[in-house]
Amino acid sequence: MNIIETNNLTKTYADFTAVSGINLHIPKGTVYGFLGPNGAGKSTTMKMFLGLTQPTNGSFTIDGKKYPQNRVDILKEIGSFIEAPAFYGNLSGEENLEIVRKILGLPKSSVTEALELVGLTQHKKRLAKKYSLGMKQRLGLASALIGRPPILMLDEPTNGLDPVGIHEIRTLIRSLPEKFDCTVLVSSHLLSEIELMADNIGILNHGHLIFEGMLDILKQNIAAQGYPTDNLEDTFLALIDADNKQRGVVR
Amino acid sequence: MSVFLECKKIKRTGFIPTFLSGGLLAAAIPVLNMAVRSENYVGLSDTPLQILLDANWQMMAMLNVLLIVAGACLMYHTEYADNAIQKMRTLPLKESQMFFGKVILLSAMFVVVLVIEATSLAFCSFHWFEVYNDFWLETGKTLGYSLLLTLPSVILSMLISSACKNMWVSLGIGVVCVFTATMVPVKNFILSIFPFAMPFQIFGGTDAERTLQFIYVALIEIVVIGIAELLFIKVRRSFE
Repeated sequence: MNIIETNNLTKTYADFTAVSGINLHIPKGTVYGFLGPNGAGKSTTMKMFLGLTQPTNGSFTIDGKKYPQNRVDILKEIGSFIEAPAFYGNLSGEENLEIVRKILGLPKSSVTEALELVGLTQHKKRLAKKYSLGMKQRLGLASALIGRPPILMLDEPTNGLDPVGIHEIRTLIRSLPEKFDCTVLVSSHLLSEIELMADNIGILNHGHLIFEGMLDILKQNIAAQGYPTDNLEDTFLALIDADNKQRGVVR
Repeated sequence: MSVFLECKKIKRTGFIPTFLSGGLLAAAIPVLNMAVRSENYVGLSDTPLQILLDANWQMMAMLNVLLIVAGACLMYHTEYADNAIQKMRTLPLKESQMFFGKVILLSAMFVVVLVIEATSLAFCSFHWFEVYNDFWLETGKTLGYSLLLTLPSVILSMLISSACKNMWVSLGIGVVCVFTATMVPVKNFILSIFPFAMPFQIFGGTDAERTLQFIYVALIEIVVIGIAELLFIKVRRSFE
């Protein structure tokens, strides 16, 4: 069963099409990797899911609820982290999460739980503006994870983290469907990173969905077309390059 | 709940100290004025409150509106500075709720400022004039009228601040509006209905019909600016 489905979802800004008629199918209880180079339309798609920007065309449903009719109901089910950490710099990490908790109507213990989950308990009293980039990233993740939402949308969640942090967050994301029974949509521009987390992937390039399915199937398709499959980075680059050539796009 | 959340958000922004010190500064105007030239006023025939307001209200009102503009800028600056507003927009909370929560909080802080100013006016009346029976009733009516006529500038300042991601832009627009309002003749009704000019009106000395007209206009402006914000929130989402 798909928890998120889009139907010809499109977003156009003046003469630039950021997302072009994509049809996504995200199965419930899985980690779905959303892959693509910078500017492919990953963040724009996630922003549309969250109601931060309005689709120009097409539609989508999240857990059977339609946008824009059920916008608030949809948001009740989603924990999100988009582009960069968003927080009140004048408040501490704990106070930031307290605001989110109040809005979501969660118990007080959920703040402590979220802080523990991302390893910020020690720094909870420090002002968020004084956090390092990695700590801000963790705070953003905590505000997405608070209350164990059934759907998580994480846009490049490991940006700015050190290797240990990246490993921790990857392991956490991988464990979420089993631990919290949730569906995770995670974006990245690194296939190697997505491979370590995702069950299914969707590859976007210049707003077009060029592949959707399981990673093994992608590898089979790629091998059949004569592209390299030993190194995932090369596979991804070859795929994007082929799509660019087909569309006549010069990067 | 929105107001409660807004109270939490303004922690460590200097919002409350700004309003308290601004209120004290405005309250100091009549005291200083009376302290240095009370002989110009004590012999006048109006009620003490009317004399004090005629002599000081223009300056006090200007400080009040500047305080409102600064307060509105400060409130939205905390939202935009570290992109917290984006997080708020992804939560099951209507953006309009957040806006009106801020409007209520700013109005409440303005009431605190008015109370400080009323205390100062009461002190001046009791110290330099004779005490009379209806003083508190007159003060209540005057400050209630001022509060109502200031609400359009509160909500308009908030609309401007919500529209500008850069605090200096909204502050600049607000300051220009305030100084434009100071140039508006108080007796000219049409020009005085500019939201930032309304707080300069005084309850006493204005005939009942004109007072009612100002009250109606203030209520209409509050509703119109509120609707404009709702439309703005909808339209902005299409362009982001």
